[in-house]
Amino acid sequence: MRCPQCAHPICADVTQGCPLGISVPKFIRCLREGNVTGAYDYIKQNNCFASICGRICSAPCEVACVLSEDKSPIQIRELERFAADFGRTRFVKKIQKNLNDKKVAIIGAGPCGLTAGWKLAKQGYQVTVFEALDKPGGVLRYGVPDFRVPKKVLDSEINNIKSLGVKIKTNFFIGKTATIDDLKSQGFEGILIATGAGTPKFMNVKGTNLGGVYYGEEFLMRVNLTKTSIFSKYIPTFPIGEKIVVVGAGNTALDCARAAVRFEKQVTLIFRRPEDETFVRQEEREFGKAEGIKVEPMIKVVEILSDDKGSTAGVKCIRMDYADVDGNWEIIPVPDSEFTIEADTVIIAIGHKPNSTLSDTCTEIKVNRNKTVKINREDCSTSVEGVFAAGNVATGANPLINAMAQGLKAAESIDKFLS
Amino acid sequence: MFEIISKQILAQDIKRIDISAPDIAKKVKPGQFVSICPEEGDERIPLTVVDWDSSKGTISIIFQEIGQTTGKLGTLPIGEPIFSILGPLGVQSQIEKKGTVVCIATGIGAAQILPICRAFSRVGNKVIGIVGAKTKKSLMLEAQMRLACNKIFITTNDGSYERKGLATDILRELIKKREVDFVYAIGTIDMMKEVCSITKEKSIETRIQIKPVMVDCMGMCGSCRVVVNGKIVLACIEGPEFDGQEIELEDFSKRMETFKESCKCKNQKLISSQQKKESPTLMKFLLDILKD
Repeated sequence: MRCPQCAHPICADVTQGCPLGISVPKFIRCLREGNVTGAYDYIKQNNCFASICGRICSAPCEVACVLSEDKSPIQIRELERFAADFGRTRFVKKIQKNLNDKKVAIIGAGPCGLTAGWKLAKQGYQVTVFEALDKPGGVLRYGVPDFRVPKKVLDSEINNIKSLGVKIKTNFFIGKTATIDDLKSQGFEGILIATGAGTPKFMNVKGTNLGGVYYGEEFLMRVNLTKTSIFSKYIPTFPIGEKIVVVGAGNTALDCARAAVRFEKQVTLIFRRPEDETFVRQEEREFGKAEGIKVEPMIKVVEILSDDKGSTAGVKCIRMDYADVDGNWEIIPVPDSEFTIEADTVIIAIGHKPNSTLSDTCTEIKVNRNKTVKINREDCSTSVEGVFAAGNVATGANPLINAMAQGLKAAESIDKFLS
Repeated sequence: MFEIISKQILAQDIKRIDISAPDIAKKVKPGQFVSICPEEGDERIPLTVVDWDSSKGTISIIFQEIGQTTGKLGTLPIGEPIFSILGPLGVQSQIEKKGTVVCIATGIGAAQILPICRAFSRVGNKVIGIVGAKTKKSLMLEAQMRLACNKIFITTNDGSYERKGLATDILRELIKKREVDFVYAIGTIDMMKEVCSITKEKSIETRIQIKPVMVDCMGMCGSCRVVVNGKIVLACIEGPEFDGQEIELEDFSKRMETFKESCKCKNQKLISSQQKKESPTLMKFLLDILKD
């Protein structure tokens, strides 16, 4: 109700506010008038994952909100979640549409790929999305745990996309089951690479190959793949100890810690930077603390200690603090402050890098030094004609909303390329 | 889509199934594997493709029923679809003309070495096979191996068939007697360690195939990481074949040990007993019998 309905809203601006360009003031006005379906329609113009963004978006629009300067900003994310959960129709109607004869292949059924597929299908292209795993959704299904994005919500959003005529082909690994050249010979005129950044960054300390050391991706994937029934809900299906240490300051680390706490384990979250400089929204951090996670900021891992059997016994750490280094205010280790945290499982979640399987099999596609695909920033095109790349595979690890925005941009340039 | 076409029991607890998977059969090369998830919500397991027929569009896999997932895969009847198969994954084996090639395998490794033996003899190598088994009962694919190799040695641990002893003993004798240009080993980690130490003395080129625990099998989880030449690499992308002298097997065996222990965990037993109860295939099977 506090929304001032700015004439030139910053929150809907593509560069400063919502990267998707959702007309935020308009949908808030609809909500104010009690027209929830109308509000959902406004969001749906630019966003095909409204309920999911309403849950896990990093919300740049709230930072851009004019009210954030003196008072707290409008809770746009929560409003979006409300509009999407209550404004959508309960049943999905299959829309019969005359598609044109141009075929587009999208590699990777993650947020970016599906957004691009949704946009192109709306414009009448025959879109096929290729996914290597058994179900579409990508990071939303295999990365984000169930308590943040319920699988039911994801399924209904994907059904909405499928109803537009998007074909999703699962168990099909482009680069292995078929190559990009095979796709071209099958008649796909435009190809979009949206394979994301899913490979973990390896940590460069001693002891990361011990038993009981997981990387965040592996841990979350195992949690998400576990079949849950009423009886086995809180029982992990993989070896996990009683005392868990999670290393990392991002969303993945917090998700790992919150998932581990749900197995009724003792969880400590450690990271190198001060607590208010993490990449997580403050409310999420508060949720984590309320659930029983012990947060230890300004700690650096020196070594993972081993017991006599070759599994983890503890984590040797050192405290960090601000200090004056040649005139710069930097975080450096405090001398003689080493200590050991007891742990039998260590989860490392310090970042992602792109998976290079696809670019290895198709050497014509040029890659940057950090394994991301080289693209033209203006129109997402790669060094091969007709092949585009978008999302985290091109930009490196970025928030969900930015990947989706790039998907939209790539869809527009594919449309331009084909017409 | 991925239907089981035929099923065969080869030895104790070891089964072979043929699955219709035309896309994979077209592309697969020796040494590659597929990732299989028998039913929705199960663990995904990597299994080597032993044989394939691109005209029929089928692939064959051989597995030992040891864990939960392989156990479930073994109970699936002919005609039942498998939930998900992803492949072909991994890098194909480097098959070149070397001269005399010794292919050594123990246990379930005998199934995985068969396509390698065939490929090596096709390019004109002299292939000597050494197969080790626990007893005569657990020995499998003997006829196929005899066809694929120029000469074959079989050992059993208890002496119930052919020679008593270990497969590595024969390798040691062979290397003393005649010239060997290349050794390829698949088996338990201890056996591969032994093979590598034997060949290191004579500086014979050795390649091994490892079977680490994998989750998604496409290089996203980092579960299959091994140290090669001091660098961490993922076995699902750059493996499963590695140079025997470069890979650090000591490190790898430690990691695998923790996963073995977990099978004896309390929570593990609880789940397996539950899943047996609610196994839909078993129920379906029983209902089918009752109908007849």
